[in-house]
Amino acid sequence: MEAASQKTFYKKVLVVDDNPTDRFIAKKMIEKCSFAQETILCESAQQALEYLRALEDEPDALPDFIFLDISMPGMDGYEFLEQYATFPEVIKAKCIILMLTTSLHPDDIERAQSNPLVIRFINKPISRDKLEMISNDFPAEN
Amino acid sequence: MKQKDENLDQSAHIAEFLSAIKTKSDRLANYFIFTFFAFGLFLATFYDTWQIAVGVGGLLLVAYFSAKMTLADSDFYQYVLSAVLGIFMAQFIYQMHGLFEMHFTAFLSSAILITYQKWKLQIPLLIIVIVHHALFAYMQYSGVGGIYFTQLDHMSLQTFIFHIVLVAAIFSVCGLWAYQFKKYSEMHIDLIFKKKEIENMELKRANYELDHFVYSASHDLRAPLNSMLGLIEIAKDETEEEHTLEYLEALKGNAERLDTFICDILDYSRNLRTDVSNDLISYKELLNDIEQNLKFMGDNSRSVDFITAIRGDSPVFSDKSRLNNILNNLISNAIRYQDTEKKNPFVKIEIDILEDETHIVISDNGIGIPEESLPKIYDMFYRASNKAVGSGLGLYIAKEALNKLGGQIKVTSKVGEGTAFYIQIPNRQIIKI
Repeated sequence: MEAASQKTFYKKVLVVDDNPTDRFIAKKMIEKCSFAQETILCESAQQALEYLRALEDEPDALPDFIFLDISMPGMDGYEFLEQYATFPEVIKAKCIILMLTTSLHPDDIERAQSNPLVIRFINKPISRDKLEMISNDFPAEN
Repeated sequence: MKQKDENLDQSAHIAEFLSAIKTKSDRLANYFIFTFFAFGLFLATFYDTWQIAVGVGGLLLVAYFSAKMTLADSDFYQYVLSAVLGIFMAQFIYQMHGLFEMHFTAFLSSAILITYQKWKLQIPLLIIVIVHHALFAYMQYSGVGGIYFTQLDHMSLQTFIFHIVLVAAIFSVCGLWAYQFKKYSEMHIDLIFKKKEIENMELKRANYELDHFVYSASHDLRAPLNSMLGLIEIAKDETEEEHTLEYLEALKGNAERLDTFICDILDYSRNLRTDVSNDLISYKELLNDIEQNLKFMGDNSRSVDFITAIRGDSPVFSDKSRLNNILNNLISNAIRYQDTEKKNPFVKIEIDILEDETHIVISDNGIGIPEESLPKIYDMFYRASNKAVGSGLGLYIAKEALNKLGGQIKVTSKVGEGTAFYIQIPNRQIIKI
């Protein structure tokens, strides 16, 4: 496909979503748009936290983006952010968090926007246009 | 804030109730005082006391009404009334040359005063009765002529004390009734408000629960729908087969239509159930957000030009969520019903922020609305065109939301040329610095 010939922008994206279909869509779309070289899929917030914590000593291996779902069973997106906030600066400086959701609740939108760790609030599903917009707004360093 | 309003409401209600009692009592007092005066004239026929009946009675009328007129705002005239009624008693006793039954008018006066539901009104009457009795009884038995306090040749101190104590007892009982009535009225009002408060709380709770349910349900409906839309996108990307692409396109259109419908129902419910809020509005931000959101709307093959102009910079307060909803509906309509024949489809948003209100014009060069459809476009589920997907709720909700904000909407349209909506929204509150 012609998309594959395009330049890959980012090294790594971490997708946190409990829904397997949505994880699949995110992975597929990221691959199709050559948005990132690697897509890490986590099915729960705990798993994602563990993954990030393990990379504390090798910041280069940290993801450039975290696509975070809000509503997840067990630990939800907000609880993930609470835990993430206690992480060392090395991790927080590297990762850009985008919240992915289907919610239209104004409280949800407000809550996500008022969290300084959340850079943007994006409605599902991830599409080519949305990925393009993200890469336009956050140019890759290399 | 809410609580304060309700308390205010309650005290306003009590004040209203008390003023109703006052008006009614005043009217009764007028009847009684004129009747007393007339009764004095009637009594004048017995011992030819016309001078007293007209002079004293007339003075008493003047005293009462002048107090009432000059001090209309205070309740001082009611105390004057109490004193006037006491003096009428003295007048009647004199006019009937100490006829014992004339003393009973004091009881009548005391009973009349209950109507104001103020026990204190008994005090001037009581003082006058005691002073009158003590003074006149003393003078008559001291041999002063023409006092006419009693027809008894002799009144023992014991009789006099019985007389006064009985009067005081009756006045006390009348005062007590007045007090009881007032307490009872207040309790009753309190009870009504407590009941109303509980009902309000229950209603709020039910509203909140229903609202929460609608949100959760819409989220749970939209989540799989959006997954489907994502899968459709991927499937479209991976096939070249013309028929399959066509089916996927149709599938996508229907899924989007369903999604729009769910969002509209949510908006409808939200508009109906939530209170109007007072947010600081930045139209620039609002339009930016809407533009970002609508970028991905529907058919991406053609983008519609956004032309925005915001004039005036005074801070505006309104309900952000409803405002967003109104603008979103009108702008998305302009995009949805764009004219594919035209080269440069646009939607133009002009906002004029004035001191008391904001004027918004949203115009486009889309397909336009037929004249016969114009009166019906705000009807629930009405759709003027089949050319694009829509729930038929958008303009209905926009108008309902605008109603909540106290605004108005007008439309002009010509088929093939475009449509323009004119909106007028009062600014809810202006902070002057």
